[in-house]
Amino acid sequence: MAEEIKKRTTYLSRGALKPRAYVGDGLKVTFRTLVRTTIHRPNTIQYPWETLVKPECYRGRPGITLETCIACSKCVKICPNKCIEMVPIDHPTLGKVKRPQVNVARCMMCGYCAEVCPTDAMIVTPEFELAAYTRSALMYDPIKLQHERKPGYIVHSPMVTPSEMKSGRTDSHDKGDMAIKDTVQLDSRKCISCARCSKTCPVGAITMTDTGELNPKTNKPVKKPVFDDNKCVSCEQCVDVCPKSCLSMKEAM
Amino acid sequence: MTEMWVNMGPQHPFNHGLWNLRVKLDGEKVTDAEPVIGYLHRGWEKMVESRDYQQIIPMSDRLCYCSALTWSHVYVSAVENLMEVEVPERAQWIRVITIEIQRLASHLMWLAAVGTDLGSYTIFLYAMRERELFLDLLTNLTGARMTYNYMRIGGVRNDLPENFERDTLRACDLLEKRIKGEYYQLMDQNTPFRMRTIDTGVLSKEDAMNLGVTGPNMRGSGVDFDLRRDDPYEKYDEIDFEVCVEKEGDSFARYRVRMREMLVSCDIIRDAFKKIKEGPVRVKTPRNAPVGTAFAHVEDPRGESLMYVMGDGTNHPYRLKVRSPIFVTVSAAPKMCIGYKMADIPAIMGTVDMCVGETDR
Amino acid sequence: MELHFDYSGLYEFLYSVSSWLLWLVGRAFEFIGVDSDNFFYPVRQFLTDQQFVYFVALILVALIYLVAGLLFGIQFIWMERKFLGRFMDRRGTQVGFLGFFQNFADAFKVLLKAVIIPKDSDKRVYQFAIFGILAVSFMLLGLVPWDNNFYAVNVPLALLLGLAVFSLAPFTLILAGWSSNNKYTVIGGMRGAAQLIAYEIPILLVVVSAVVMTGTLNFAEMVAWQQNNVLLFIPLFIGAITFFIAGVAESERIPFDLPEAESELVEGWQTEYGSLGWGLIMAADYLRAYIVCVLFSIIFLGGWAGPDFIPGSVWLLTKAAIVFFFMVWLRAATVRIRTDQLLKFCWNRLLPLAVINLAIAVLIRVYSVGWW
Repeated sequence: MAEEIKKRTTYLSRGALKPRAYVGDGLKVTFRTLVRTTIHRPNTIQYPWETLVKPECYRGRPGITLETCIACSKCVKICPNKCIEMVPIDHPTLGKVKRPQVNVARCMMCGYCAEVCPTDAMIVTPEFELAAYTRSALMYDPIKLQHERKPGYIVHSPMVTPSEMKSGRTDSHDKGDMAIKDTVQLDSRKCISCARCSKTCPVGAITMTDTGELNPKTNKPVKKPVFDDNKCVSCEQCVDVCPKSCLSMKEAM
Repeated sequence: MTEMWVNMGPQHPFNHGLWNLRVKLDGEKVTDAEPVIGYLHRGWEKMVESRDYQQIIPMSDRLCYCSALTWSHVYVSAVENLMEVEVPERAQWIRVITIEIQRLASHLMWLAAVGTDLGSYTIFLYAMRERELFLDLLTNLTGARMTYNYMRIGGVRNDLPENFERDTLRACDLLEKRIKGEYYQLMDQNTPFRMRTIDTGVLSKEDAMNLGVTGPNMRGSGVDFDLRRDDPYEKYDEIDFEVCVEKEGDSFARYRVRMREMLVSCDIIRDAFKKIKEGPVRVKTPRNAPVGTAFAHVEDPRGESLMYVMGDGTNHPYRLKVRSPIFVTVSAAPKMCIGYKMADIPAIMGTVDMCVGETDR
Repeated sequence: MELHFDYSGLYEFLYSVSSWLLWLVGRAFEFIGVDSDNFFYPVRQFLTDQQFVYFVALILVALIYLVAGLLFGIQFIWMERKFLGRFMDRRGTQVGFLGFFQNFADAFKVLLKAVIIPKDSDKRVYQFAIFGILAVSFMLLGLVPWDNNFYAVNVPLALLLGLAVFSLAPFTLILAGWSSNNKYTVIGGMRGAAQLIAYEIPILLVVVSAVVMTGTLNFAEMVAWQQNNVLLFIPLFIGAITFFIAGVAESERIPFDLPEAESELVEGWQTEYGSLGWGLIMAADYLRAYIVCVLFSIIFLGGWAGPDFIPGSVWLLTKAAIVFFFMVWLRAATVRIRTDQLLKFCWNRLLPLAVINLAIAVLIRVYSVGWW
C-alpha cells in the first residue's frame, strides 16, 4: 500500500531529475499555451464586462425583507463587528416599526445575521460591488437594504443535539425546531410582574397570566409571564430587558 | 570594502505583506540579516477577548489570507477541546476535505509568489489559474472566496452541495496533470530555476529543529514530522498518506516538498471521498465554555499552528493565544540568508512562504 | 526651380525637398524686396546657401528616422505585451485594435504625471543620465539602416561606430544609479555596468567573425555580401546563438534583467525615476532591444534581402520582429538568474563559443570552403 502511494505521489526523485534542455521544456510549455490561447480564448475573465458565475449561496452584503422581519435583534447580537443597529422606519404598510440598518463599510460578510434570523427575513445577497464615494453612502438603512429573494440566499445551518448524535440520529434539525431551540426560564420568586418582557417580545410569545394569588400589600391579582415556547424565537430581548434578572435562557442540549 | 544595511521592506516587491528584512551587504553578499515584524499588528488576541465564541470564527479566518479555513479550524478545535464536544463523523470528513482543498489553494498561492520572486510571471499566472479552481469549489461550498466562515464549533456550517464530489475530483485530476506535466517542465526541468534554488538558503536539520521551524520548511530540511500523521486530528488517522521529506534543506527542497504535498493532498481528498459517511454535520454546543484551558494544534500549510484557549465560564474566552508557524520560522531567516547573495533573498524567503497576517496577528 | 524630387533614397529625397523649400524661402525674400543692398540680404544668402540646405535635410532625415524608429519600438512593446499575455494564458493589452493603442495611453499617462526629483539626489547628473541613455539609444537608432535607400547615415565603419556607442551605455547606467542617492539604484547601476561590459565582449567577437566573413564594416555591403553568397546564419550558427543571448543581456531583459530585478532591487537603477523620465528610459530600453534585433537580422539574416514583391525595409522589420518574438518567448519561459551566474555564464560559456565561432569564420575565409 505504502509503496503504491509513494509511486503515485512522487513524480520524480530529485536525484533522477536532470534538465534535458536548458530551457527547452519551459519553451515547449509556454509555446503550447500560446497556441492554445490564440486559437481558444485565454483564461482571463474580463471583469467589468463579464463576471464569474457566482453560486447562489455567495455571501455578499446582507439583504432583508421588511415584511417578514420581526425586529427580534438577533442579528444585532450576533454581528461580530457590531455593524447592525435597529432603527425606526415609517413603512407604508407596516407603519412605524423597527428594522435593522447595516453599516456595510464595517460588515465583514460573515453571514451570521442571516444564519440566526428566525424568520429568514435577513438573507445574504450576491451583491459585492459596494464601493461608494462617501462613508454615509455605505450606511444601508432598512429600505436600501431590501433585496429580492431566492432560495439560495437563505442561510441555514442544520444541527443535532449531542444526545441525539450519540443515539445515531442521521437527519438534522433546521432552525426553529423545538429540539434545538433555547427557551426562556422564569425565576418567579424574583419576578415583580412589571410586564416589560411581554411588552418587548417581538412575537407575542409572552402573556401575563393570573396566578390566582393576591398581592398581600395591594390586594391585586399577581400576574406572571407565561412563555409560549412554540412561538419563541429565543431572541433574549426579554432576558435583557428584565429589571430583576429573573429570566434566563435554558439551552436545549 | 564598506558594508551597508539595506532595508528590504516594509514596502518592497519581494515581501508579501508588511515585514522588513534588514540585510547587511558587503557588495552583493549578505553578511547579516535581521527580520523586523510587527507592521501588521492588529491586536487580534486582545480583540477576540471581547467577542463570544461564535463571533471569533470569522475573525480567525482573517488571520491568514491564503489559508483561512485551517485557522478557523484550529480555533474551533481548541474550543471543542475546551467544551469537550464530540464532532459528528461526517463533519470531520468534510473538515478533512476542505482543509486539504485549502492546503492546495494555499500552496498554489505560494507557488505564484515564488514565481514573481524569481521573475517569472508565467509561473505566477499558471498557479493563480489553478488556484481559481479550488477557490471556485470553496465558493460553491461556503459562499465566499477567501474568508469562508465555514467551520463551526461542533461541526461545519452546511453539508456538501450537489456535485461537489465530482467537481473536486475533476479539479484534483487537472491539478495533478498540470503538476506532473506543465509545472514539472516549467520549473523542475528548467535550468535557470534550478540554478536559482539549488544550494541556496540551506537550513540544516539541527538548525531547523532548534529554531522551531515547522511544516514544509522543516520537512525540506529532512525532518520527518507531520502532525497529520504523528498527532492525528479529525480523521487523518484513517487515511494512509505519504509525508513528503527532502533531506537537502535548500530552497529547491522546500519547493519540492510543497509540490509533492499538493499531490498528496489530492490523494487524501480522493481517499476521504471514498470513506465519507452520511449523517449530521453539526452538533449543538453550549454557549458558555467551562473554566479551564485547552489547546489544539494542526498542520497548517505553513507549519504547526496552535491555539490555546482559556475559558472562564462565560461566553467569551478569557485569553486566546496563537502560535503562528511563520512567526517562528522567520527567526530562521538570518540562518538561511547569511552567506548568500542579495539576489538569493527572494528565492530563499519566497520558498519559506511568508504570511504576515498570522505572524503579526 | 521646378518641382521634381529625387526618389532614389530617403536622404536624396529629403535633400531635394529641403532645397525646394529653401528655394521658395529665397523667392519669398525676393518678393518682399530683400535685395543685394538690403540689410537682411545676408540672412537670405544664409538660408539659401547649399550648406544650410544640407543641414535642413539632415535634420529632416533625423526626425523622420527617429519617428519611424520610435513607432517601431512602440510596436515592439505592443508585441511583447500581447505575446507575453498569450504565453501566460491571459489577454495582454486591450485598448484599441488588438490592444495596439495601450502603449499610447500609457505614454500619455506617464506624460501627465508630476515630475518628482529626489531631494538628496545629484540633480544635474540625475537628469543628465536620462539624456545619456536616450542619446545612446537614438544614436544607435540612426546607425542601423532599414533598406538600401532608407537610412540616416551610411558611414563605412557603421558597425564599429555602433558598437562603440553601445559601450557608452554602462557609463550612463552608473551615473543614473549613483546620482539617485539610493542603495538599490547603486547596486542596480553596478550590476548593469558589470553585465553590459561583460556581454560586450562576446558580441564584439561574434561581430568580428561576421566582419571576417564579409570583409566589410558597412551594413549595406554586409547585406549585399549575404545576398550574393549565403545568409551568415548558416555558417555562423554558433555565433548567431551567442549574439542572440548576449543581445538579450545587453537589452536587459529576463532572464538577464538583473540591473532592474524588481523582486530584490525595487526597480534597479531606475527606481528613483518617475513620470516622463521613467517613460523615456523605458522607451530607450525597448529601443535597445529593437536595435539588437535589427542588428541580428542585418548581420545574420540578410537584413533587407528577400524576394522583391515586398519592400526591403518590410523584410528587415519582419525579421527583427521574429527575432524579438524569440526574446519574448525566452522571457516567458525562464526565471531571472543571479549576477554571479550571469557573469560566469558569459565568461565560461559565451566567450568560448564566440571564440570558436571566430575560428570557424577565419577557417572558412582562409580555405574558402564550398562556394563562398
